[in-house]
Amino acid sequence: MSQELQFDLRGQICPSTLLTALREVNRHRKDLRQGSVRLTIHTDNRDSTATIPEAVRNMGYRVLVEKKDGHYLLHIDFPVEDQGAGA
Amino acid sequence: MAGSWEIIIFCGTLVLGLMAGWVMHRSDFCLASAFRDLFLFRSAFMLRQIVLAVLVGMVLFEALRLCGLIAELPFPMMGPASWTHLLGGILFGCGMVLAGGCVFGTLYKAGSGSATGLTAIGGIVLGCLVYGWIHPWWQPLRERLTWSLSWDIPGALGASALLFKAITAVFLLVMVLYWSQRGTMHREAHAQGYLQPRHAALALGAIGALSVLLVGMPLGLTTAYTKVGAWLVTLAVPHPAQMPDYFSAVAMDYRTLLGGVPLTGGPTPHWDGISLVQYPLILGVFFGSALSAQRLGEWHFRWRLPANQYFLALTGGVMMGLASRLAPGCNVWHVLGGLPILAIGSILFTTGLFPGAWFGARLLNRLLG
Repeated sequence: MSQELQFDLRGQICPSTLLTALREVNRHRKDLRQGSVRLTIHTDNRDSTATIPEAVRNMGYRVLVEKKDGHYLLHIDFPVEDQGAGA
Repeated sequence: MAGSWEIIIFCGTLVLGLMAGWVMHRSDFCLASAFRDLFLFRSAFMLRQIVLAVLVGMVLFEALRLCGLIAELPFPMMGPASWTHLLGGILFGCGMVLAGGCVFGTLYKAGSGSATGLTAIGGIVLGCLVYGWIHPWWQPLRERLTWSLSWDIPGALGASALLFKAITAVFLLVMVLYWSQRGTMHREAHAQGYLQPRHAALALGAIGALSVLLVGMPLGLTTAYTKVGAWLVTLAVPHPAQMPDYFSAVAMDYRTLLGGVPLTGGPTPHWDGISLVQYPLILGVFFGSALSAQRLGEWHFRWRLPANQYFLALTGGVMMGLASRLAPGCNVWHVLGGLPILAIGSILFTTGLFPGAWFGARLLNRLLG
């Protein structure tokens, strides 16, 4: 069962959403790749709903975007079939 | 009492602003990100959209000129190139990166509820009004640094404007088509009601042309911000004679082609031609974005943010405001207004945006990263 780490970045100045997402993905990469952690980014920055998935998918992660309560949640994890393959 | 053409100009510009605000919000189309992301994230995606917007402007402005629907070029308040355009561009480029958006970017973000966007606007007004005291020594310097060439590239080369613009437009079109074919003009999107930036670029190019048709000038805001700054100075200064001379300058004096409306004005605290053209544009962009956000259920005002972000927004705003007076002009004025008519001053300003954005991105990485 993986732990979910939440980051509320709503209202923040551009481009701190993308910078923070990249920083946290890198910081938790070992746990993400082992499947012990999932990240959820809360943002109201519309641009980041395109730029974060683009960047993070290029790094091999999986991203799901959902809209809830007037803002966006970006769920980031590592594909199950690739977990445990090392950082 | 306003004549009917003044009312048409006010309402028409308001509608153009509403459309621009809506489009920019839906697409999150900010020129600042175009230059910033090149250095911060090694992404040229938004820069490609800017190329498209410039191409659209170039074609439409030239079409208007050939149809006799532009009184004269360069546009009012655009003059010969000066090295101050380059210096202003560098300062502006850094400021817009720190502020999280350019002059139009911070406005549409403020409209959708961004507290840092509002803060940046406050900074822009402050930067514009500070220039009032700098003007006496900057203006002679600007004149000394003015190029003796024609204001535009075809004029400087003694070439046909139509032929030069046609060749440039074909070159830009080939680039856009090449990028389209490679799929690099499209972005996978997840935001509700998302407008692809390339469609926003087409729309903004067309809105700029409609502005030229209606009022004889492309989109611009910063002189209006300076007027707000001047008005604030009148509240603090006991006697009008103590106001810096800059705040009584006349920046433009011409007649529109449609309706023959005399438009005279400058960075004064009073209502004038600048107010008629730029105030409704500011209101339109702000409320166009607000309406777009509200329709999506995305309008929220969140102000509990890290203090350093307010500091960045304010500092970046002051830099943009000051740069817009030093150059003069802002990024939208030069990139979407001056570049399409191959104004050398606008080319210098745009060139300056690159090192400015590079420096701003380095600072931003240290402060936000």
